[in-house]
Amino acid sequence: MAEVYNWQLGRKMPYPFPEAHPQKQFAAVFNINRCIGCQTCTGACKATWTFSKGQEYMWWNNVESKPYGGYPQQWDIRILEQLDAAQQAAGTTATWDSTVTGDAAPYGAYNGMTIFEAAPQMQNVLGYLPPDTEWRAPNFYEDTSTAYKGDDLGISTEGASLPEHQTWFFYLQRLCNHCTYPGCLAACPRQAIYKRPEDGIVLIDQARCRGYRKCVEACPYKKSMFRGTTRTSEKCVACYPRVEGADPLSDGVPMETRCMAVCPGKIRMNGLVDIAADGSWVENPKHPLYHLVKVEKVALPLYPQFGTEPNIYYIPPRWAPRPYLRQMFGPGVDEAIARYAAPSRELLAVLQLFRATQKMIFRFEIEAGPLVHEVPVNGKPWQMYNDTVIGFDAKDREVARLSVVEPVHERPTARLNSI
Amino acid sequence: MHKRNIVLFVGIVLGALALLFFNIPIASSQGATLVAARVTEPLPLKDPTAALWQTATPLEVPLSAQAVAAPVLLETNVKAVTARALYNDSQLAILVEWNDTTQNDSMVRVQDFRDAVAVQFPIGDQPLFICMGQVGGNVNIWQWKADWQKDSTAWQDMQTAYPNMNVDQYPFARVAMPAPSEYDDPNYVPAFAANNLFAMPRVSPVENLVAGGYGTLTSQPPAGQIVGGFGAWDNNTWRVIFTRDLATTGADNVSFDPAKLYPIAFAAWDGANGERNGQKSASQWANLQFEGAVAQATQPTSPEVTVTEPAMRIVEPGTPPDTTSTLVVFIILGGLTLLAALVLKARGNWE
Repeated sequence: MAEVYNWQLGRKMPYPFPEAHPQKQFAAVFNINRCIGCQTCTGACKATWTFSKGQEYMWWNNVESKPYGGYPQQWDIRILEQLDAAQQAAGTTATWDSTVTGDAAPYGAYNGMTIFEAAPQMQNVLGYLPPDTEWRAPNFYEDTSTAYKGDDLGISTEGASLPEHQTWFFYLQRLCNHCTYPGCLAACPRQAIYKRPEDGIVLIDQARCRGYRKCVEACPYKKSMFRGTTRTSEKCVACYPRVEGADPLSDGVPMETRCMAVCPGKIRMNGLVDIAADGSWVENPKHPLYHLVKVEKVALPLYPQFGTEPNIYYIPPRWAPRPYLRQMFGPGVDEAIARYAAPSRELLAVLQLFRATQKMIFRFEIEAGPLVHEVPVNGKPWQMYNDTVIGFDAKDREVARLSVVEPVHERPTARLNSI
Repeated sequence: MHKRNIVLFVGIVLGALALLFFNIPIASSQGATLVAARVTEPLPLKDPTAALWQTATPLEVPLSAQAVAAPVLLETNVKAVTARALYNDSQLAILVEWNDTTQNDSMVRVQDFRDAVAVQFPIGDQPLFICMGQVGGNVNIWQWKADWQKDSTAWQDMQTAYPNMNVDQYPFARVAMPAPSEYDDPNYVPAFAANNLFAMPRVSPVENLVAGGYGTLTSQPPAGQIVGGFGAWDNNTWRVIFTRDLATTGADNVSFDPAKLYPIAFAAWDGANGERNGQKSASQWANLQFEGAVAQATQPTSPEVTVTEPAMRIVEPGTPPDTTSTLVVFIILGGLTLLAALVLKARGNWE
């Protein structure tokens, strides 16, 4: 195995192939705090890609209620369990070393095992193959919260309060992470899976796939799926015709994927970030995704300890217990929630850009506005300014302009009932 | 005791380096010979129990789990196959039988894997690496698949695996319950659109493939699917026939001259055990000899090598090593090995 650098883990790790990075990487930020679990993203993906025979059970995009929901059922608990068993067998415990810092290790250094390090003998990746029964009922445990710890009557003596609620659940929006070091790609004995050099999108070559399902077994996020009619595996294609700017609507510039563009909750922002030869993100603080992930660090990778360097980043939910969130998003959770709860002027402006346009935003500018609000947040004073944020597309044309305070328009009396 | 182990250790490493240096494919052996009986009548192409097969001498070929290239399944289920071969003026037929208590002939559900069996021939006269050939040395592989056999009678689909399923409609399809070939717009069945044989109507239960090393296995194009076959499961036994014309064209196919000997290897998969890809049971090279036609055995000779370590490497014939630099590397590695052995001994870790 080769050695590759995984910046989310702050260290090198083994991987079957040597480092080779795309020029740009497909990435996204999902704000879990805003998701209403409406599954519009899920439906948009289904209606675009997976409505054909053999794909009935496929949900390349799905939204599950945590902590109990999962598609396939218990996918994350299963793989965490396997990782833990491997670590126990090796007599190690997985912790994060917070003394390692810097841009190349923003969350510290992970000293536990990845799915590549914990792989059984003569296998490239640790994993399991969920049977059809586990892919059924994709939204099982929808809106199911943890048990309420009350008195004899079930009533809390203290009530509920932030930062953590006693009873909780949250929605987790999932699609293929188009990982930097994909588990599926590592496991395919056919080399039928590849990562595109132009945008880092991970695809299964449908001409070469022989339906071995090693990718289904190896993907820790379980986003590679077997199609019984063609006897090959398929996965999220990141709506690559849209990303390429080939969609008639796109005007020749990269567009967000279907699942991102339809989001009524405005929780998603999708884009392409520039990648340096060493795999790091090219510094670009005026790129909204770079700003959220690297400057403000409010958005975190999903289960970074798996070691695949996933490229979908999540703003963690404020109300869920921190140990659970740290397990899911790594040690950056506390800082991310603190910064999201009392956002800086710039962050608040960038957050307005979510779902403002179908085109991918490559640059933003902020025009300063007046102070409109002052309120204590977590015991500290916090000011809100009505700044205006402007987003630019790949050709550097303005495609979005929004103010922090949504403008109010009053209908003139003469036209009160007109439509 | 310690000294003997050190010598053995150093010997193994130096031996492996020597094999690498001299470009010798490891793990070939002059195994048993499968003799194809000559007959004049048509071959029993679809009858594995035909009396004619009794005229051929059976050869039992031991198999073991493929353990060289990841992914590896250390406990595979097929321990041996019995092979028979017949030929006439135009065709060769090989019958392979093995015990399998489960009949796995569906691959529709995500957890279903098929039973399968394959034979492998080197293309050309040079000795080749047993595991899928090597760079610059291709092998021709014929793989029979239990689900393809069943598909030949009736295409297995979602409604076969899930008889109670219900669906409103499948857009862009010509019929209500379409097979991959029954779409007006094949882009919604991308494997079919990409001419992937797995998604196409079956012309034969046997797939004709070519490979030149791990990860290079490739189906020959639809027009190159020239291997016929038939398989049936009965009484815990699979009986599978491969048939092909003796002479072929195409650089990726083995062409048979009955006057020659041909290396042949076997592999088998038990779907019930999740066996697929390199997770399989495989044999060493054996020989295929055509009875009554061998004037002079001109078998491509493969040097016999005792395998001591799974230190298999794909060597590239045609790129002779640079003698000087290789010798230097050789000497340095040898020295390092000795040093490592001495350090281990000095630290008392050597058992």
